[in-house]
Amino acid sequence: MTFTREKDFGTPEAMGEAVSLTIDGQEIAVPAGTSIMRAAAMVETDIPKLCATDSLESFGSCRLCLVEIEGRAGYPASCTTPVAPGMVVHTESERLRKLRRGVMELYISDHPLDCLTCSANGDCELQDQAGAVGLRDVRFGYEGENHLEGCKDESNPYFTFDPAKCIVCSRCVRACDETQGTLALTVDGRGFASKIAASQDESFLSSECVSCGACVQACPTSALIENTVIEKGTPDRSVVTTCAYCGVGCAFRAEMRGEELVRMVPWKDGKANHGHSCVKGRFAWGYAQHRDRVLNPMVRGAVDEPWREVSWEEAIAHVASEYRRIQKDYGTRAIGGITSSRCTNEETFLVQKLVRQGFGNNNVDTCARVCHSPTGYGLKTTFGTSAGTQDFDSVQYADVILVIGANPTDGHPVFASLMKRRLRQGAKLIVVDPRRIDLVRSPHIEASHHLPLRPGTNVAMLTAMAHVIVTEGLVDEAYVRERCDTEAYAEWAEFVSDPAHSPEAIEELTGVPAADVRAAARLYATGGNAAIYYGLGVTEHSQGSSTVMAIANLAMATGNVGKEGTGVNPLRGQNNVQGACDMGSFPHEFSGYRHVSDNAARAQFEQDWGVALDPEPGLRIPNMLDAATDGTFKGIFIQGEDILQSDPNTKHVAAGLAAMECVVVQDLFLNETANYAHVFLPGSTFLEKDGTFTNAERRIQRVRKVMEPRNGYGDWEVVQLVANAMGLGWTYTHPSQIMDEIARLTPTFAGVNYQMLDERGSLQWPVNAAAPGGTPMMHIDHFVRGKGNFVVTDYVPTDERTGPRFPLLLTTGRILSQYNVGAQTRRTANVNWHEEDRLEIHPHDAENRGIRDGNWVSLRSRAGETTLRALITDRVAPGVVYTTFHHPDTQANVITTDFSDWATNCPEYKVTAVQVTPSNGPSDWQQSYRAQAEQSRRIEPAEPAE
Amino acid sequence: MTRVFVSKDMASVALGADGLARAFADAGCEVVRTGSRGLFSIEPLVEVETDGARIAYGPVGPGDVAAVLDGSHPARIGAIEAHPFFASQQRFTFARCGVTDPLNLADYAANGGWKGLEAAFSLSPQEVVDAVKASGLRGRGGAGFPTGIKWQTVLDTDADEKFIVCNADEGDSGTFADRMLMEGDPYCLIEGMAIAGHAVGATHGYIYIRSEYPFAIEAMREAIARSAGKVAPFTLEVRVGAGAYVCGEETALLDSIEGRRGQVRAKPPLPAIEGLWGKPTVINNVLSLAAVPFILAEGAQAYADVGFGRSRGTMPIQIAGNVKNGGLYEVGFGVTLGELVDEIGGGTASGRPVRAVQVGGPLGAYFPPSMFHLPFDYEAFAQAGGLIGHAGITVFDDSVDMAHMARFAMEFCAVESCGKCTPCRIGSTRGVELIDRIVAKAPRESGALEAMPQIRNTKGAARTHDEEIDLLRDLCDTMKYGSLCALGGFTPYPVLSALDHFREDFGGASALPEAAE
Amino acid sequence: MMSNDERLAYMAEQIYRNFAAQGRDMAIASTVDHIVSFWDPRMKAQAFAMLDDPAVRLSDGARAVFEKLRIETGAVG
Repeated sequence: MTFTREKDFGTPEAMGEAVSLTIDGQEIAVPAGTSIMRAAAMVETDIPKLCATDSLESFGSCRLCLVEIEGRAGYPASCTTPVAPGMVVHTESERLRKLRRGVMELYISDHPLDCLTCSANGDCELQDQAGAVGLRDVRFGYEGENHLEGCKDESNPYFTFDPAKCIVCSRCVRACDETQGTLALTVDGRGFASKIAASQDESFLSSECVSCGACVQACPTSALIENTVIEKGTPDRSVVTTCAYCGVGCAFRAEMRGEELVRMVPWKDGKANHGHSCVKGRFAWGYAQHRDRVLNPMVRGAVDEPWREVSWEEAIAHVASEYRRIQKDYGTRAIGGITSSRCTNEETFLVQKLVRQGFGNNNVDTCARVCHSPTGYGLKTTFGTSAGTQDFDSVQYADVILVIGANPTDGHPVFASLMKRRLRQGAKLIVVDPRRIDLVRSPHIEASHHLPLRPGTNVAMLTAMAHVIVTEGLVDEAYVRERCDTEAYAEWAEFVSDPAHSPEAIEELTGVPAADVRAAARLYATGGNAAIYYGLGVTEHSQGSSTVMAIANLAMATGNVGKEGTGVNPLRGQNNVQGACDMGSFPHEFSGYRHVSDNAARAQFEQDWGVALDPEPGLRIPNMLDAATDGTFKGIFIQGEDILQSDPNTKHVAAGLAAMECVVVQDLFLNETANYAHVFLPGSTFLEKDGTFTNAERRIQRVRKVMEPRNGYGDWEVVQLVANAMGLGWTYTHPSQIMDEIARLTPTFAGVNYQMLDERGSLQWPVNAAAPGGTPMMHIDHFVRGKGNFVVTDYVPTDERTGPRFPLLLTTGRILSQYNVGAQTRRTANVNWHEEDRLEIHPHDAENRGIRDGNWVSLRSRAGETTLRALITDRVAPGVVYTTFHHPDTQANVITTDFSDWATNCPEYKVTAVQVTPSNGPSDWQQSYRAQAEQSRRIEPAEPAE
Repeated sequence: MTRVFVSKDMASVALGADGLARAFADAGCEVVRTGSRGLFSIEPLVEVETDGARIAYGPVGPGDVAAVLDGSHPARIGAIEAHPFFASQQRFTFARCGVTDPLNLADYAANGGWKGLEAAFSLSPQEVVDAVKASGLRGRGGAGFPTGIKWQTVLDTDADEKFIVCNADEGDSGTFADRMLMEGDPYCLIEGMAIAGHAVGATHGYIYIRSEYPFAIEAMREAIARSAGKVAPFTLEVRVGAGAYVCGEETALLDSIEGRRGQVRAKPPLPAIEGLWGKPTVINNVLSLAAVPFILAEGAQAYADVGFGRSRGTMPIQIAGNVKNGGLYEVGFGVTLGELVDEIGGGTASGRPVRAVQVGGPLGAYFPPSMFHLPFDYEAFAQAGGLIGHAGITVFDDSVDMAHMARFAMEFCAVESCGKCTPCRIGSTRGVELIDRIVAKAPRESGALEAMPQIRNTKGAARTHDEEIDLLRDLCDTMKYGSLCALGGFTPYPVLSALDHFREDFGGASALPEAAE
Repeated sequence: MMSNDERLAYMAEQIYRNFAAQGRDMAIASTVDHIVSFWDPRMKAQAFAMLDDPAVRLSDGARAVFEKLRIETGAVG
């Protein structure tokens, strides 16, 4: 793929009926509502422009795009003038050229003429347009008033604002408003003094700017430009690939100079992001080049020894022989593997294949265990498919949006921008969250209802909403009759109608006034298309699966499944959580969610793989660790997951790992889990390999190799090396062959192949004979399972209780700039926004404890203790404290307990009873952990070959 | 008890009307405070009710009470209607101004008030729109767009909510008709807006008044409160402008009402289709809306019968500047510029010869006496390179420096530019710099630009005076045809007209310029 | 912290409690189904071992579930 700029049509696409007009003698039919500018661009007539770009509504400020329209006076701007039937437009004439040159002459009279040394040289619209209009002279000279002395703002680590290069086209301001929805930028001053300002004329870094890059993307000059372009020069080729951060799955152009990545630019044709991005995907890719990356395999005899760098051959041979030895000594089921939601579908598929085919058992699990396993269970039980119902674009048709246990502006920022756009258009918002997340109140957005429930009471809350809907006669009865299991419905309706489940009855429990619950339920049921978006605040509870089913019940009862603008939509945490689940990473099911005891499915795999497969479910991660401490589980292959930091009850995880004889960790960095590893296999980044990711909307998108793996192998190749060392005889030469095997063995993926992905850009599963083009929306005419299944969701409170020793409830979450355990983002300039995890505590609770903002505090639970600094805020309710878990120093999971979801063992991260007290230093655990980590990270380089 | 009438209009008050009113009250008179009659040279004016007629005296002061009351004061005018300044007027819109107590509902009703609204209520919305169309009423704010057609668009656009917005951000220098009407006959505007509401299906209206008009704001607020029952279900509120000239531009005004930075919106979409908060909106000037009650009360034909060419009805013309009889003069279109300046205005106040008249506010063209034959008419003025605008005319005597006035226009534009479009944002500042060089007879020398090695196309030598003048004309061309709104688009009118008619003030060769486009 | 045995019994009891609204018999049956679907053989064996160990104290629900599980899976000991 060579470097080409994406075509810019100037104004957004319109959807009206066809209108015919003539542009420069050429007749063309375009949808009504299309601008003249866009219509012209469609017939390759590029009208000069600076303030227009097709990602933003037209603005009409630069006045370069003037045209002549027969029968109309003056020179209308083609960007703001829509086409009309029979219109005859001329885009070029001596008169227009003179006007355009006149405008350009004014621009250039206030612009530095340093094109040759400008970092945007060759990639500057002002430069291009000056050429296009034929500017040859600036008769005003340079002696007049100007902005050439403006000071650069270099506060943001990723981009620079140079006001001298600014042409005040407002594209950045409009991008911040329309695309991102943060409204951090403004035009300060009037007339000639107009200038772009961040917030109240602050530096970009200290302003409300969230560094999404939309302004940089929109800037036609180098007024806003990536620092990497300033440093490395403009790119010369680009490769379209998929972001490796959250489950939104933004498509990017990796813009390269030779082997070097210059910048990541969100791809306009990306179906999940439509050319938008966030600070992580766009800017935080520097970890791939970070000095901490381990590039050589390493082995050691015991975890207190230093690492020894070895050859790939030696490392792989060691792994294979250790696993075979353990199985000989302790039995076939004594080893297992963990697949990664950060790796590609192909890699995940291979790891589970390694376990099932090579290890001969089903001891494979994935990090989705700790995030979205309840989604799989809950939605499969109610709807019949372990996946969300809609694509992201569907939110544009929603009239009511219910966000529960999710914080999209931090966790899924690009989707949040789309959602906020819809909210600004007037859709109503209900937020169910213990914390006052940003969505509750942000510029031009205000939730109609915020139900700040006590952590752990989701099921009670949802059942109370159902109570209102059923007892007030708001059920969509026709829908239920036609689409759902009516017997199950009747049972459920009777259950929720019990006065014990009324909002009034549970008010004491949830802490939310009954009237608010009633109003929210009525709005959800009667406000038009209603869509539910949820995240880990739903799943990571003792009742995670119940909550998912309670959500599904609400959606079915109100007829909100199977059409645009509705549905039940899990926001997936990691880039490939959906894919990892799809690929058969769970110990009880093969790819495509077929149980291992399903003889037909098993036979298919047995035939393809040439071995007999275990019909019994394998161990889940927590059970593996239990078995390890019991002495029956001795070896594990962990690809791209840091279970020590990410899984609950760190001490228990550490004990499990310590009890094993061969822990193999494959990762980019020596992560926390690697402290307990015997073999370390270097991993490759998403930039270094081919494959696919599947995002939260079941969208399968290509990951493309833009550079050679620095560690020598793509992760799929490493798994193949291990498999072959164990005698499996795999022969993949490209991930496309793995996808072909996936398609062969997985009915929902039957029609997926790389050629089709390249042609279409992406595909949403199921892709098969029944849906050859994929399935953007599920359950349209009937549920996948046949009739929608209402499930009685009794509220069974967690056994984690507050009391005199632990009077507060801790809940956890993420922040925009950091990603999960932070292994990647902590190794980028994103630390500028979030250097440490802080404990949010309500002023009332802080006052009672003598805690001031910024004080070190000790956070203690039944499981453990840590210290961190306090942040006093009323975003959390009294009695609730909150922290993020991005920094290993804090070890928030030392605190979390091993209570978990009853159905899936997804850990209860969101509810821990704690006490907070003033402190003046790290806890004992933190100190000893630091010492241990330091010791276990020692590396002895390989002996130099002499 | 003797009833006397004294204006409480802001201009009259500035001339001492409050003291006069107090003096009459102290003398035991019943003082009725009215709006202004509109001729400032006779202010402070008092009218004494004598045998059912009103005898006017002016200008008079507090010390003149006794002489006025005994009829001996030399400033006796007699019946005001007979005064030459008033006798020749056709007061359709300002009929009650200066006559009634502005806030007295009974006074309003007794002087023909509400007749238009009652007539409108008896008609269908389409019939009301048809009447306004038939009257030939055009927007009095300056653009002259037919009001009925605008209303028709709003009527035809389906929406759950529509608005009537009155533009009372009267910011042109030398204009005061909006203020006089709002202070002197606020119910007339309310009635016009209520009729508009009925005609297009709007139930709420906003009056956007500039903050410099505290009396008008107060009068309108009070009048809205008092007449609420009369215009119900139509409701109204006053919004106070934030001081930017550009907020008088209709789309910037909508932004301002919505609570945003007042910036010009590109059209389309037309405000009539997507206006305030995206809803169909009638946005009209005070004088347009205030003309409507007459049209409904007296019939479209009565209005259309007056006028000239395609400019029908009357225009409240504001005569200001260096002029003897400054004030408000309402008359049918067609009166000539010369009649207005010399006969009605009475020539300059300084007594020196008239040199230039600017018509249409600070961005209107300057006309020399050689063009005084021009009839007051949208088309005639446009053809002569000018515009009627809000019908303010400002008179200058022969001491005026027209290059300085051209510079003032550019400077005004630079100060008031919202900064959105490039021709206005950068062009106005370059215009000031350029005229400064022209006036100083110091054409631009080869400078920093030419010193740049990469700049090889520019003429290396110093520029000539004529080249600078040509550049000014080019700049005016770019601004006139390239600007987004009338601020940048009209700034070239005073500049080019000064150049065309008063070239001698710009120095250099005095060759006759080519006709302006 | 719980021992591994305790945790297994706790898991069974927790599943049972979440089905309890269905009534005891149905809840036991549903819990057994759930365990059959999701527990690995070692965990099931451990459950049966607990049934036979008089030192282990199981809740009513967990005991009923494990007993029925043993019968259903044919692992009668």
